Amino acid sequence: MLEIRNITKQFPAVRALDGVSLNITAGEVHGVIGENGAGKSTLMKILAGIQPPDDGSLTLDGDPYVPRNVNDASRVGVVMIHQELNLVEDLSVAENILLGREPRRFGLVELGRMRSEATRLLEEIGANIDPRARVGDLPVAQQQLVEITKALSQKTSVLILDEPTAVLSERETTLLFKLVRRLKERGVAIVYISHLLPEVLDLCDRISVLRDGRLVAETTPAASDADRLAALMVGRDLVDVYPPLVPPSADTSRLAIRDLSVPGHASKITFDVAPGEILGLAGLVGSGRTEIAEAIVGLRPISGGEVRLDGDSVRFRSPKQALERGVAYVSEDRKGRGILVDLSCIENTTLPNLAAYGRLFPDRRRERATTTDWIERLDIRCPDPRSPIRTLSGGNQQKFAVASRLDSKPTVVLLDEPTRGVDVGAKRELYHLIAGLARDGLACILISSELPELLGLCHRIAVMRQGRLAGVVDGPTASEESIMRVAAGVGEEAA
Amino acid sequence: MSESTHTNGTDGGHVNTTWKLGLSTLERFGVVIAFIALFAYNAITQPETFLKPENLRNLLNQNADIGVIAVGMTLVIIAGGIDLSVGAVMAFAAAVGMITMNSLFEGSMNETLAVIIGLATGIGLGAACGLLNGLLVTIGRIPAFIVTLAGLIGFRSVTLAIAEGGEIRAADKLNALQTFGRDGFKIPGVLDYYDQPVVFYWNILIFFAVVIAGQLLLSRTRLGRHFIAVGSNEIAAKYSGIAVNRVRTWSYVLVGACAGIAALMSLARMNSVSSSGVGHLAELDAIAAVVIGGTAMTGGRGRVWGTMLGVLILIMISNMLTLADVEVYWQGFVKGVIIILAVLIQRGKAN
Repeated sequence: MLEIRNITKQFPAVRALDGVSLNITAGEVHGVIGENGAGKSTLMKILAGIQPPDDGSLTLDGDPYVPRNVNDASRVGVVMIHQELNLVEDLSVAENILLGREPRRFGLVELGRMRSEATRLLEEIGANIDPRARVGDLPVAQQQLVEITKALSQKTSVLILDEPTAVLSERETTLLFKLVRRLKERGVAIVYISHLLPEVLDLCDRISVLRDGRLVAETTPAASDADRLAALMVGRDLVDVYPPLVPPSADTSRLAIRDLSVPGHASKITFDVAPGEILGLAGLVGSGRTEIAEAIVGLRPISGGEVRLDGDSVRFRSPKQALERGVAYVSEDRKGRGILVDLSCIENTTLPNLAAYGRLFPDRRRERATTTDWIERLDIRCPDPRSPIRTLSGGNQQKFAVASRLDSKPTVVLLDEPTRGVDVGAKRELYHLIAGLARDGLACILISSELPELLGLCHRIAVMRQGRLAGVVDGPTASEESIMRVAAGVGEEAA
Repeated sequence: MSESTHTNGTDGGHVNTTWKLGLSTLERFGVVIAFIALFAYNAITQPETFLKPENLRNLLNQNADIGVIAVGMTLVIIAGGIDLSVGAVMAFAAAVGMITMNSLFEGSMNETLAVIIGLATGIGLGAACGLLNGLLVTIGRIPAFIVTLAGLIGFRSVTLAIAEGGEIRAADKLNALQTFGRDGFKIPGVLDYYDQPVVFYWNILIFFAVVIAGQLLLSRTRLGRHFIAVGSNEIAAKYSGIAVNRVRTWSYVLVGACAGIAALMSLARMNSVSSSGVGHLAELDAIAAVVIGGTAMTGGRGRVWGTMLGVLILIMISNMLTLADVEVYWQGFVKGVIIILAVLIQRGKAN
C-alpha cells in the first residue's frame, strides 16, 4: 500500500533519517519505535506531507506519492493524528469534523444536516460525544476521538497515530485500541508510534525499530519481547534501569504538607518529605497530583491548610518566590511550561537562576560554562548549546528542563512526570539523576503515571484518589497491584 | 526468528546546503541587503543630491525622534506587547516639557537649569505614561492593544486641551533648547555648499546612542533576556520563576521613556510643540520600522539593529520618492507594499 524507499533527511546538526525503507500494507498495524531523536517524528512528518525528504521516494498503491503539504496527503487518504491535536477549540465537535466540507445549500451551511452527519460518524466509531459541544470544553481523550472521527470521515487509507496514548487514561486507551483494531479490519493501514513497548507488542502486527535515523530491525510481536525491543532501540542491553535505593539522610521533615486544599482539585492532603527522600505521588490522571504541586509553588490558590518548609510556615505566591526559598517545580508540560522552545540551550539552562550570573549583565562566559557542565553531568546530547532547544530530542530537552530548575541549588524538587515522552535510555539516565539528587540530600517529590518507575525509585508512595490522599505505601515492598487497589479505592484506606 | 536486520542503504542523500544557507541568509540579513541596495540605488541615481552630507544629515535629523520610539517599540513587541500610544505620549510629554521650561524660565530661573528640568519632566512623564499602560495591561489584565489604543486617543486629547488645539512655543529669549537642536558633532573635513563644516546634530547621535543601548539591553542584560522569554512563552516564563508582570510593565515604561526622549528631540528641532502634529502616526511608522527590521510581531524574537535599518530604509524610500517627483499621496502606498514584502521575505523561519 504505502512504500517507503531509501528516505534520507538532513538537518543542520544531524542526519535525521538515513536511507530508511519501510513497507506499510493495508489492514495491518505497523508499529514504529525508537528512542527520541531516532527519526520517528521526522519520518512521519514526511509521510504526512509536513516536510519533504531530501532523497528517496514514496509510492502509494503503486503511484508516486509526493505530498507537498498536509492537504495533498489527506486528499489521497494519508492522515496523521499528532501528539498535539489540530482542532479548532472554539468550534463545535460537528463543525470540527466537517471543517472545510460543511454541507451547504444556497451557499449557507446546513446546521441540521451537519449535526446529523457528525452524529452518524461519531456513532460509527463508537464515540459517545455530543456533536454540539465546544471542542475546547472536552477532555483531551475525547478531543482525540474527534480528531480520529474527522480523519475517518474522509476516505483514509493510511492513518498515522503519533503517541496517541500519551494523554489517555487506561480505560480510554482500551477504547482506542478497540477502535484501531476495527479500522484495521476495514482495511486501513495504521502506522503506530509509541514509546510504550507493552502497548506496541499488544497492538501491532509488525514492528520497525529506528535508531539514529536508520532502520535497525523489523520484527513481529511473536518474535520479540519488550527487553529485546528496548535493547534494539538503545543499541545495547539495558541494565540497572533503577539505581539502588539509599535511605534518607535525615529523619526530619524538610517539606511538610498539612491539610492542604486546592479548590476543585484536592482537599486535606497531608504528607512529609525528608531530606534525601524520594516521595512518589501516584494516582489516576485527574486525581489532583499536579494541582497539589502547582499549589505548593504558588501557581494555584490554596483554600486551606499549610505548607511548612524546614518548620517555617510558607505560602508562595509565584514560582519565583518558591525558587528563591529553594523549592523547584519541573512541569509535566515540557513544551508549554518547562522550556522555552525558541531560546537556546544556554538561555534555557540559566533562565530561572539568571540573577546569579550578574544582577544587570549576565556573564555569558559563566552561563556557557555552567551549561557545558550540565551537559556533561546529565550526559545531554547537544551538538551546540547556542542552538535553539527545540532542535534537540524530547529526552534531551527534558534534561535541560530539569537542569534549569536545579541550577539554583534547591533543597526541595517537585518533578511532575519527568519521563513523559522520553525514551528508555534517557529514562534510565533521569532515574539515576533523581536518585543522585536524593543522595545529595534534596527532598524529592516524584509525580508519575508509570507505576514501575515509582516502585523502582521511591522510598514511599502517596496514592491520590479523586482529590484525596487514599494512602501511603512503602516503596520497596509495594507492588503495582497494591497501589492500584489503593488508587481505585479497594482494600486498605488511610483515615 | 523472523527478524531481519537492515543496514544503511544509499550514500546519495546529499543536501543542497548552499541553497539553504542562501535562503536563511536572506531571512536573517534581508534587511541589510535591502538597506545596501536602496542606498546604492539612491547614490547612483541621485549622486548630486542624495549623497550630499547635509542631505543625509537632514534626513536623519528629521526622523531621529521616530527612530528612538521605534527602538522602544522593538522591546515592547519582543516582550509580547504593543504600544499604540507612543505618538500621543510623545506629544503630551513635549507639551508638558515645553510648558515646564517656559514657566521656570519666566519665573527667572537660570536658562540651562530650566531646560534640564523641562527635559527631565518630559522623559519622566513619558515613562509614567508607560507605567500606567503597563499596569493596566498586567494588573488590569486588559489587552495591550486596547489599553494603548485608549492611550492614543486619551493622551492626544489631553495635549490638545492643554494647547487649546494649537501650538506651544518656547518663551522669548529661551534659546538654549534651539541652540542645542542646531548644535552637534562637527565632522572634520566635511564641508557643505557654503564651505562651512557639516554639523551632525545631537539628535542624530542620541538616536544612535539609543539604538546601541537598546541592543545591549536586549542581548546582554537580564531584563532583555526576560523580555525574550516572556514574549516567547509567557506561561513557561512564569513557571521558570520570572516575575512576568514586572517584566512586561518594564517594557512599557521603557517605550514610554523613549517617547519622552523623542518628545524632547522634537522640541530641540522645532523649538515649539504642535499639539496635533507632534508624533502624529509615529506609532505606525515605528511599528513599520520594527517589522521591516525583522522582529516578530508575535514576540520573543527580534533585534534593535534591524529596527534601526528599518528606520533608515523608510527614510530612504521617502527621500527616493520625493526626489523622483512621486506625489506625497502615493508614498504611503509604497511604504505599505514594502512592509508586506519585508514580512514575506523574513517569514521562512517562523513556518
